[in-house]
Amino acid sequence: MINWHTFFFMLFATITCAFAVAVVVSANVVRMAVCLIASLAAVTGLYFLAAADFVAAMQLMIYVGGTLVLLVFGVMLTARGPFVSMKITPANWLMAGLAGGALLILLLCAAVSVDAWKTAAVAESAAGREGGHTVARIGMALLGLRVDALEQPNPALRGGMAGYLLPFEIISVHLLVVLVGAAHLARARRTKKPIEPPSGTSRAA
Amino acid sequence: MRERMIAEYLTTRYGLPGWLAYGGVALVQCLILLGIMMFAAALFTWMERKVAGRIQDRLGPTRVGGRFGWLQSVADGIKLLAKEDLIPKEADAVLFRLAPYISFCAAFCVYLVLPFSNGWVAQHLNVGVFFIVAVAGLEVFGVILGGYSSGSKWSLYGAMREAAQVVSYEVPLGLCVVIPVMVAGTLDLVAIGNMQRGWGVNWLVFHNPFLFITFFIYALCTVASTNRAPFDLAEAESELVAGFLTEYSGFRWSVFFMAEYGSMYAMSGLGSILFLGGWHGPIPVAEMLGLTYANHAVLGWLGDLLGACNFLFKAFLGVASMMWLRWTLPRLRIDQVMTTCLKYCVPLAAAMFVGTMLWTYALPGGLLPRSTPMGAVAEAPPWTAPRAARGE
Amino acid sequence: MAVERVDPELVEFDVRTDEMLINMGPQHPSTHGVLRLVLRTDGEVVSSVVPHIGYLHRCAEKIGENVSPRQWIPYTDRMDYLAGMNMNLGWAMTVEKLMGLEVSEKTRHVRVMVCELNRIASHLVAAGTYGLDLGSFTPFLYCFREREKILNLFEAVCGARLTYSYIVPGGLIADLPPGWLEACERCLSELEAVVPELHAVLTSNEIFIRRTAGVGVLSPEMAIDYGCSGPVLRGSGVKWDLRRDGQPSVAGMYEDYRFEVIAQAGGSYPRDQEYPPVPPAAVLGDCWHRFYVRMLEVVQSIGLVRQAMEKYRRSADAVSEPIKITQKLPRGEAYLETEAPKGQMGFLVIGDGTAIPWRVRARSSSFCNLSVLPEISRGCLLADIPAILGSLDIVLGEIDR
Repeated sequence: MINWHTFFFMLFATITCAFAVAVVVSANVVRMAVCLIASLAAVTGLYFLAAADFVAAMQLMIYVGGTLVLLVFGVMLTARGPFVSMKITPANWLMAGLAGGALLILLLCAAVSVDAWKTAAVAESAAGREGGHTVARIGMALLGLRVDALEQPNPALRGGMAGYLLPFEIISVHLLVVLVGAAHLARARRTKKPIEPPSGTSRAA
Repeated sequence: MRERMIAEYLTTRYGLPGWLAYGGVALVQCLILLGIMMFAAALFTWMERKVAGRIQDRLGPTRVGGRFGWLQSVADGIKLLAKEDLIPKEADAVLFRLAPYISFCAAFCVYLVLPFSNGWVAQHLNVGVFFIVAVAGLEVFGVILGGYSSGSKWSLYGAMREAAQVVSYEVPLGLCVVIPVMVAGTLDLVAIGNMQRGWGVNWLVFHNPFLFITFFIYALCTVASTNRAPFDLAEAESELVAGFLTEYSGFRWSVFFMAEYGSMYAMSGLGSILFLGGWHGPIPVAEMLGLTYANHAVLGWLGDLLGACNFLFKAFLGVASMMWLRWTLPRLRIDQVMTTCLKYCVPLAAAMFVGTMLWTYALPGGLLPRSTPMGAVAEAPPWTAPRAARGE
Repeated sequence: MAVERVDPELVEFDVRTDEMLINMGPQHPSTHGVLRLVLRTDGEVVSSVVPHIGYLHRCAEKIGENVSPRQWIPYTDRMDYLAGMNMNLGWAMTVEKLMGLEVSEKTRHVRVMVCELNRIASHLVAAGTYGLDLGSFTPFLYCFREREKILNLFEAVCGARLTYSYIVPGGLIADLPPGWLEACERCLSELEAVVPELHAVLTSNEIFIRRTAGVGVLSPEMAIDYGCSGPVLRGSGVKWDLRRDGQPSVAGMYEDYRFEVIAQAGGSYPRDQEYPPVPPAAVLGDCWHRFYVRMLEVVQSIGLVRQAMEKYRRSADAVSEPIKITQKLPRGEAYLETEAPKGQMGFLVIGDGTAIPWRVRARSSSFCNLSVLPEISRGCLLADIPAILGSLDIVLGEIDR
């Protein structure tokens, strides 16, 4: 029987996949970005269904918002010129199809091989129990307290579960460095031609 | 939680099928929120005209719908619907059509998690603040798309300006939002609102001097991120004709407009929850009159209703002051807008962040006596109290 | 303080995008009429501005060579349509110079009165629309409210609110109606109260100062080279005003009036202390100074109107009669420039003994003032273009004629 949960899962999953395909198929860079955003936004819906509020909001903020910046660049770079519509050669199609198909098969195999998927009822009750209170858990985990580890009955496994703060910081600094590097590379080198002040400008106030 | 109760009541009492009950309840909620947003947009367009009129020493609308021109917005709406729907030849027609609705949806999504009173919220998310900040930033998406797809250079300019501005102002806005969240210890808007219960001194804006300054930075960033004058560069009439709106007419134009007013109201609402006590007035009238759930469910509901009025009024005041600004100040230049953001707002907000952090560390309860200690969240799961968890 | 350039071969790092040609106008809201500017922009930075004019060309000068001087008066109204009285005055005095006519004392004072009132009206429009150009809507309505009162006065005088045809060669079409002086005094005192408000919302507003100070700096030398005149010239610190420095008939019109030329000299404006101070960021010759000069001239003109009213009351003679439509012009040539609100408005008339002039030409102040735009707006931001253009205060009716 299809309940609401399954229905919305199907809906969001279909939207995600459809727009993902649209990204590949469409020829215009800006439309691609729009489809990508739609696809990522639908993933947000999936996260909300899984009662992962924090990840969902994160998805909106980072992926959808980040793609927005991508869109801006797309618009800036392709407002005219050769990139407005891209032609894809059959060879490209073939290679992309092979790579994508291989990944898809891998994913499907992984999905099918797991035999202990939780039933809908179990998943729902788990979601209901935790009530979507994921923020505090994630925050505690960042600070060095794995809440899921508290529920770990085996004391041996509870040890060694350090926080994520350091890796998190390392990643963020890493991203910053990448951004600075990108900005540096994007600068064009050109000989400075000083803009000549209009003849006879006196800045006497 | 209420909506679930109602839906279950409908299924058990009247034997409605589950999908119908839940769907119906969800639909009613959406319609109510849509109604609030539409009504706000209509009210504010009327008010904008009246405020502008009064500031400019004239009357504003006086004819449609009686002495005060109450129905001016309705007349405008009909006029806009009747206008010719133009799509430029150079435009990317699909994206051009799509853009206003994206803006509108983003503005509307904010209302989904915005509590209007204690528990009066369509979707009680425990990351409400985060969600609002994430979604409110998406309104610019429609603007960029509209500006790009119009196929006009002026529109493109408007879109680029808006993108630069909103993306920049999201940083200080986010910082300003984080500061009260840090004091409150939760991202849950209902919880943040409820912990400012009692007298006005309990409002977070009066929690410490840093938060007081933060409030004004937040107000500034709100004006900038909702694209209101003096930050209305994206639709700067004297520079860019109408910016991203240049090629839009009729209904699509009005959808953009509704999105703008909707998000203005929503951001004012967020500010009033984060800083100004949300649905709690400066004087706890509801508690004085005994309008609490402890006395009776109906009385409690009445108290919540009073709170909702309080909240709507505060958000309204925020929008009114935005209008006041708009009709008083000239527009900033793009470099000045960026300077304001990057050189003043961001460092200042960061300093306020550090200041508040130190303040809450040194004076956890604040200087003023409070009815509820800050940081205490009702119905908190055991692991929200870190020290207790660490002691285990 | 000259900035020393260390190395001429210094490599500048910069993110550059393609240049874009963009058309500003002729239907753009802030080009003050049907001016078309072709901007070459790199992002928000404008590298060159080319004004294209002629969208409002109506062959006014050629028409002037086919009608008699009195019949051409309505055409002068439509040149600077914001200051019709001053346009009428310029043409009337040129024809009077050709014919060697003298007007009565009373006529002279009425002319001063209406021309200064029209100068106020024109400057009010300039100030209000300048607010619009900078995105501030409210001062526009304050200015227009005051202008309406002045237009009411003009309506009482000649029946028209925009195209007056009141000052005609030889004199005026009518004397002032009874009770007009009292109405005028009322209007002036109301206007005096509004000027500080305008200073508050514009001149001394922080955002306004940031948008205008140091923007579009026009050096005095360049202003003179390009033939700029009026507030644009005086905003650059050149003390030049035809009401004082003009040809004998123009300067003679104001000979017993007390007024100073509004221009910064020695670091201060005349009667500086009554107005908001010059902000430190403002550079002489920038948009702020041009605006400021106009605001000061409004107050000065109020004083001039008051003086003219006093002199009008005391003058015993009657208002001069205008020349006839069929009046024959003498052989000869006359050229005269008057100080119109926007600058020096010059008219040339060559008579060949018939009633219709052989040649008529006009010299437009807005044309010369506009010609400086490409120079002073090079390298500015897109948002500065309306700010600079607004500070030049052009009227396309006068440029295109």
